[in-house]
Amino acid sequence: MSDVMLKVEDLNASYGAVSVLRGVSLQVPTGQVGVVLGANGAGKTTTLRAICNMCNTSGTVELDGEDILKTATAEIVRKGVGHVPQGRGTFPELSVMDNLLVGAYTRKDNEIRDDIGRWFEIFPRLEERRTQLAGSLSGGEQQMLAVARALMCRPKLLLLDEPSLGLAPLIIEDLFERFAALNKETGLTMLVVEQNANLALEMADYGYVIESGEITLEGPAEQLKNDPAVQEAYLGA
Amino acid sequence: MSTPLLIVEKGSTQHRQTQILAVIYGLGIIILTPLILQPFEIGKMNRALVLSIAILGVNLVVGFNGMLALGHSAFMGLGAFVTASLIQDENWDYWHAIIPVLIVGFLIGLIVGLPALRVKGLYLALVTIAMAAVFPTLVNIEELGIAARTGGPNGKLVSEEVEAPGYLGWLPGVDGPRGGAAYRYWIIVVMVGVTLLLIRNYIRSRPGRAVIAIRDNEAGAAVYGVNLPMYKTVNFGISAALGTLAGLMWTLDKSFVAGQDFTFLLAIDFIIGLVIGGVGTLQGSLLGGLFVVWARDLTKRISVPLGFYELSGDGPLANAIFGLILILFTFFAPGGFVSLGRLISSKLIRVVPLRPDGDAIVSVDAMDPGPEANRAQTAMTMSVVGPVLMIIGWLLMNVNSLYVGIIAFVLRFQLLVLAPVALMVGLNELKAVAAGKRPDSAKGPATIAAALGAAGMAFVVVMFFVLFIQNY
Amino acid sequence: MELLAAGSKWSSLPDFIFNGLSLGAIYAVVAVALVVIFKATTLINFAQGELAMLGAFFVYVLNIEQGLWLWLSIVLAMAITAGLGALVERTLTRPFDPADHLPVVLITLGLFLIINAVAGDIWNYQVRRVNDPFGKFPGWVPFWGGDRFIEVFDSRLRYQTIGIWITVIGMLVGLSMLLNKTRAGLAFRAVSSNTESARLVGVNTGRTLGFGWALASAMGTLGAALVAPTLGGVNPNMMATILIYGLAGAALGGLDSIGGAVLGGVLVGIIQSVVVSWLGVVVLEQHYMSILQLAAAFLVILIVLMFRPSGLFGTRKIERV
Repeated sequence: MSDVMLKVEDLNASYGAVSVLRGVSLQVPTGQVGVVLGANGAGKTTTLRAICNMCNTSGTVELDGEDILKTATAEIVRKGVGHVPQGRGTFPELSVMDNLLVGAYTRKDNEIRDDIGRWFEIFPRLEERRTQLAGSLSGGEQQMLAVARALMCRPKLLLLDEPSLGLAPLIIEDLFERFAALNKETGLTMLVVEQNANLALEMADYGYVIESGEITLEGPAEQLKNDPAVQEAYLGA
Repeated sequence: MSTPLLIVEKGSTQHRQTQILAVIYGLGIIILTPLILQPFEIGKMNRALVLSIAILGVNLVVGFNGMLALGHSAFMGLGAFVTASLIQDENWDYWHAIIPVLIVGFLIGLIVGLPALRVKGLYLALVTIAMAAVFPTLVNIEELGIAARTGGPNGKLVSEEVEAPGYLGWLPGVDGPRGGAAYRYWIIVVMVGVTLLLIRNYIRSRPGRAVIAIRDNEAGAAVYGVNLPMYKTVNFGISAALGTLAGLMWTLDKSFVAGQDFTFLLAIDFIIGLVIGGVGTLQGSLLGGLFVVWARDLTKRISVPLGFYELSGDGPLANAIFGLILILFTFFAPGGFVSLGRLISSKLIRVVPLRPDGDAIVSVDAMDPGPEANRAQTAMTMSVVGPVLMIIGWLLMNVNSLYVGIIAFVLRFQLLVLAPVALMVGLNELKAVAAGKRPDSAKGPATIAAALGAAGMAFVVVMFFVLFIQNY
Repeated sequence: MELLAAGSKWSSLPDFIFNGLSLGAIYAVVAVALVVIFKATTLINFAQGELAMLGAFFVYVLNIEQGLWLWLSIVLAMAITAGLGALVERTLTRPFDPADHLPVVLITLGLFLIINAVAGDIWNYQVRRVNDPFGKFPGWVPFWGGDRFIEVFDSRLRYQTIGIWITVIGMLVGLSMLLNKTRAGLAFRAVSSNTESARLVGVNTGRTLGFGWALASAMGTLGAALVAPTLGGVNPNMMATILIYGLAGAALGGLDSIGGAVLGGVLVGIIQSVVVSWLGVVVLEQHYMSILQLAAAFLVILIVLMFRPSGLFGTRKIERV
């Protein structure tokens, strides 16, 4: 495994004629947590979608040293990218168990049940509701399910798209603690996109600020936290 | 040709001239049709115009409201039978039958549309397709006096003849061997004209804008206070009324109605006409009606020997050819003839819109291509090529082949476009030379273009009067 | 009426129920095939019936013309139409955005015309007799071996009805196993539920949609092969009305519920046979009621939309406007 899990250079992305990202460059070292901060419409979600080739892209996207710019989305997942989309994207008509099983769709080994057990330990609420339809879960539970489902493909890199969206503050804190623990215990590399800068920077090693489709500021998480511009824009200081 | 040959301000004299020219062409075609076509061809033209009204009805729902209506054959059949019964059984005349036919169509449209239009998705398609499938069997029901009025499986003949009154004998074609068909042609032309005008006003009115807003963004329209189910349902009612009106015109034209004429296949013909004409445009409905009728006529004559197998359009395969055309247009020209026409005309002419204060949004002078432009040469080429192609087309007319015939048809009629464009561009370029915007070398080609263009136009006008006087 | 002469009005009711059940089973198959495609794409394949008709002709060619064993012919025809269905999905519908209904509806209508016309050109529009897989009870069946029907309540429960039911139930069990117990079925359910998320867990959505079309086409062929003997044989227009009944069944059950489609199809069969024919022809002695059979399909759709737009068992939220 190379030192840099995700390397994005000069990435442009567009939907049809609308150009959203212009020359975005960022990287996430293996085992670390990167965070992209930005306001609504700045291009956060598109950054993650572009990494997974879900819109028109040009530039460089390398996963663990391998170029994946033109790889099909499903194939990128096979190569080890877990993506928790914005709004969670669970399968509402499928049971919790089926959601997790479909998360392991790319795998053919016989440790799938063990993995499910493992995530049930970390997210015990999901085990209680294993036979319920995902659509009947609460927002926080659905977010846990979405994360657990993404982890089922045993990713090298986990992309989290605004995990705090629409959740109560207490639940958000709990969720971020679990993310941090996940990173510490398993060394899973993560790239988180967030508006909740406080929590995100707490957990992250390195951060980027994106505005109007361009990276305008970057630095170690500690440094960003103390940056006056970031404080004013995102930390409400 | 990146910049168009002609750039005119909206409302300028030249823009007016192009519009007037289009109207004159339209009138010329309308006047010559009953004079030079054979009676059976006039009948086909009548049928095409009748279908275009039904297609216009489908268009109101599919093109302007974004819902899927697949069963207008049933509305058309309903209108045809109601008309036939009113005239044959109740001794009404056609003019008085229009009102009840429109009301019946509108009400049935409301009844069918109301349940389906309350919910999003393909439900209207479901309801209308079932309606089209059911309709031909319904007219055979003997109880409730239905079969007695519809003629059941035998169909119903309307014995009243549609004859031109003496004071209308001057209408082109009416006073001659084509009399009956030509007179019906004129009635249908007037009805189509009035309908198109009314529907155009409806589309531009407040409810029409609401209907289009629903198509473009349902949630957005709702937020702005548009009552979605009401506008959708009323629009569907109007659309159904157009269907029954087309049915009335059908009875007027053919004097015979039968259930088998209004099957699901007719409904598919409407859809084909709609797509090939141009979804969401009024001209498209007219072109679609013409296409469906004349293409059905042409496919009958197609025959491709494949050695072991004769691929013939005269038989079941005619529908396969139509299905193929529908799929090809959906893939490669989803905007139909209208958008193809716009594509071509955008190469020739650009109309610069005006700001509310009356100035053009970009001045025409600013878009002038400058001294390097070779518009004069292009116009000259057009002015020469036009007549040459027309003469070739004229010669090819004598070749007895379907495909050559189609090519010859196109070759003869391109002059209608190329000549006026060459003339106008030629005159513009002469002015540009005089104003010093072009080198003097452009003067020669521009003069030739203007002269030959004018000659071409003169030829068109002379041809019109020759044909008119010969046949009138 | 022949039936009236046979006995009292009431004794003929089971005849109509049995008839309704066997028709309903066929409609159920067609409705399920429509629902399978609708679940995955929210689209209705209007060429579904014609693909099934083509499948019935393949059975005719393989079984009658080539002399293959009937059931082998049916399986082969199902496989061929499955391939055709997947091919149609891949080449004709996948390039279009499924959220925009018009292009795909146009494509399937175009296919409807093409398939019907080509079949008409090859086999013309005469009805061609086919073998009935359920003509007589096989000899090993106790009591009724070799008979065509069982007497129940003075009525005839045909082997055909029983056979169709056994086949349809077998097919539904197979479909349920396929969707709930296999990887491909899991992927199909995931794509139906949320296409984008399915892609994000590594599901090849295109291949899965092709799988759905193949499945639906094969089921349609089975339905057409079963119904052909009851229509006297195969002909290019055989599926036109059956598709309408199938649509009514799917709308009644709920366009996105497979179980609902089964029940909806059966209910439509019962409505057609019992409510309209038996009630109208036998009890009320009104001939026009039998013509209303087809209109019944239309009325069912209208009434369902009026009172329960998501059908009896539909779960997908119906957006009211």
